[in-house]
Amino acid sequence: MNSQNNREMIDSIPWKYQRGNRNAITDVQHIKVGHLTVSKDLLDRSGKKIMIRTGLTAVFPADMRKEERFFTGFLQSRGINDISGYAVVEDFQYLNSPIVLSNIHNFGAVYNAILSYGFNLGRSEIWPPIVVSLDDSSLDGSKESSVTESDVLKLLASASSGSVAEGSVGIGTGLQTFGWKGGIGSSSRTFTVDERLFTVGALVAANFGNGQGLAERIAGADLENRAPHETGSLAMILGTDVPLLPYQIKRIVFDTVLSLPLATVANRDKDSLICLLFSVANAMSMKDEGPRLFRYTLSSDAVLKQAADAASESVKEAILRSICLSKPLDGIWGEKVRAMPGSLFRAILENFKKSV
Amino acid sequence: MASILSVEDVSPFWLAKTGDRSKGDTEMNRRLFIKNSLAGIPLLSSSFIFNMSRESFLDAEIGSPERGQRARAREMGIIIGDLSPGPMNAITDVPGVKVGQTTILEGQGEHAIRTGVTVIRPPEGQHHGERLFASFFSLNGWGEMTGLVPIEDKGWIESPIFLTGTYNVGIVYSAAVDYLTQRNSGQKGRPVPVPVVAECFDDFLSHSQSRRIKKEDVFTALESATDGPVEEGSVGGGTGMTSFGFKGGIGTSSRVVGIGGNNYTVGVLVMANTASRRQLRIDGVPVGKEVQGFEYTEGKTKSIILIAATTAPLLPYQLKKIAKRVALGLAQTGAISHTGSGDIVLAFSTGNRIPVETNQSFSGINAVNDFWITPLYQGTVEATQEAIINALTTAETIVGKGGNTAHGIPLDQVIDIMKKYHRLED
Repeated sequence: MNSQNNREMIDSIPWKYQRGNRNAITDVQHIKVGHLTVSKDLLDRSGKKIMIRTGLTAVFPADMRKEERFFTGFLQSRGINDISGYAVVEDFQYLNSPIVLSNIHNFGAVYNAILSYGFNLGRSEIWPPIVVSLDDSSLDGSKESSVTESDVLKLLASASSGSVAEGSVGIGTGLQTFGWKGGIGSSSRTFTVDERLFTVGALVAANFGNGQGLAERIAGADLENRAPHETGSLAMILGTDVPLLPYQIKRIVFDTVLSLPLATVANRDKDSLICLLFSVANAMSMKDEGPRLFRYTLSSDAVLKQAADAASESVKEAILRSICLSKPLDGIWGEKVRAMPGSLFRAILENFKKSV
Repeated sequence: MASILSVEDVSPFWLAKTGDRSKGDTEMNRRLFIKNSLAGIPLLSSSFIFNMSRESFLDAEIGSPERGQRARAREMGIIIGDLSPGPMNAITDVPGVKVGQTTILEGQGEHAIRTGVTVIRPPEGQHHGERLFASFFSLNGWGEMTGLVPIEDKGWIESPIFLTGTYNVGIVYSAAVDYLTQRNSGQKGRPVPVPVVAECFDDFLSHSQSRRIKKEDVFTALESATDGPVEEGSVGGGTGMTSFGFKGGIGTSSRVVGIGGNNYTVGVLVMANTASRRQLRIDGVPVGKEVQGFEYTEGKTKSIILIAATTAPLLPYQLKKIAKRVALGLAQTGAISHTGSGDIVLAFSTGNRIPVETNQSFSGINAVNDFWITPLYQGTVEATQEAIINALTTAETIVGKGGNTAHGIPLDQVIDIMKKYHRLED
């Protein structure tokens, strides 16, 4: 696919909201993103080639030295994958950790390294670490962890608030959509309330889709040369500076997922989905001797509506970008996993267009 | 309805031991207690990693009960509830369930390590992990239990359950994934099952930030798992745990319940690290208010992880109800589930095996009729309370990080207090 054409196609969707400067989740102030790509060929004990095609992607809600908690909520379905810190986020509704997307083999190492990162900051602990796992096993040959603690610490130190690399980077390295190459996408939307500018940003890791199902909907779709695709997952991480309370976050997350043309994109028996949203406004001090009362800002329903629409648009664009920006890759499938044919991408895009 | 609440349809074998606390029953248990006190409780299925002699962990001068003098509640004559336990009075009374533990005791002073891992292995089938219906209940979610997403969404577990110290979770998770990857290799297209790793904060006795547990320690616990009696107290994941102002740790208990001519077992295993001293109630007796001495300043963040296993065929929504009854059992010990306590329950049933790969479009599943399920709730509440008390009464005094000392609850006092409240006879 020609990336110039793809961008023009994405721009042809009648989006209702303005993008932020970088059109990325980092348009929300203080949010930082970092990727670590792990792509190497190893020999196992019997001399067989092992192709490691994986990576990590970290999203920081803020500078972790500030010792703050941020209201958070998520929706997940068809749980194939794991989220650490689940009990805390479900019951206390906030997080206090970078969110790191990983495959299951690196999950424990990442969890452990986030703890070390917190201890090294000289603040109270970062706990619980939030690690979200995705299944990249159809392209990645890992049988054990492929990152060291110092790799993860370097990744966490390197996260930046600049523009976000997309496509086959970080955890996007070994992901695929519909049997074609998938990966990372990011986008943002802004709106103004009482002359204050608010931003909603999304980062997605797209690893979903049933090519056969797609073919049934799109006449003449060329399904040759697809990689095998067993289980998938679509992770959507959203951040915003709109002041939100936990029940409002749940509502926006629910609305966002409902707004996606998932009937077209998801493989309904095998793809898992997680959509997680945090608000960097209404942050709480997590110091032991904090105030006895917190005072929060309550946004009106009208503000929520705009936030939900902005969230929906930024996720949709991020998904489209994750598909069309991902580069071909040779993985354990044996042949190159190709970029999605332009005709198919156009068909998917038309579907998204209808949903805007 | 009364008929649902009754336990009268317990089979005759168990009925003989069900009902009032008869004098004979109590005397028998007292004798057993004395016998165990003399003989010492043998080391069971667990591996210890010592970098120093075991004696140096005990503080004999304080006069706190030493290892051979620890006992389970029932051995002291304390009988919780009306239902009878299984043969081992342990979670391993559920056939196929195995428990393995690695205990790590290293060094003294500021960098002392008092930690470990306890693994509960549900029946894993002949070759590959089978799936068992499961559910969880988070009474207070300030704790980590990984693997909750698939449990909530699919309603089953297909991994062993690992209990350890808070900061060990990443390392234990890594080891668990390595184990599961190995176990499931050769099953193309089957994703690596998500492991269940839960924690409590053992930082009062252990320099937990240094995370000295190794993957090998986890593999050792997996390999050493057996279906025999379970060692309790300051072992495995419970090594550095404290509870109710005394030394806490691993505790287990079980009950056998009759429903419609079938006997079902429910077994509970806890890693107890929660609650404060004055809250402690044993069989309703305010032991925490009566007990004297052995005080220490506790760490602030506590938790308790509670695992229930049953042979009764139950669906996930019913296991959620079982998990809630486990929380009721916790309440009967006086714990209030304070804000920093991660009080998380996992319940699973061995009554159905869900095949991993099948060509059949339909297969049969059993489940107890909710109308008749109440005896299981009673068994769950009783076994939970007894498991927590067992964790206290079996745990020996541990001297840990910076000389911090958590004392084993003094059993002579417990017996006197129980007599004072007429739960034991003179």
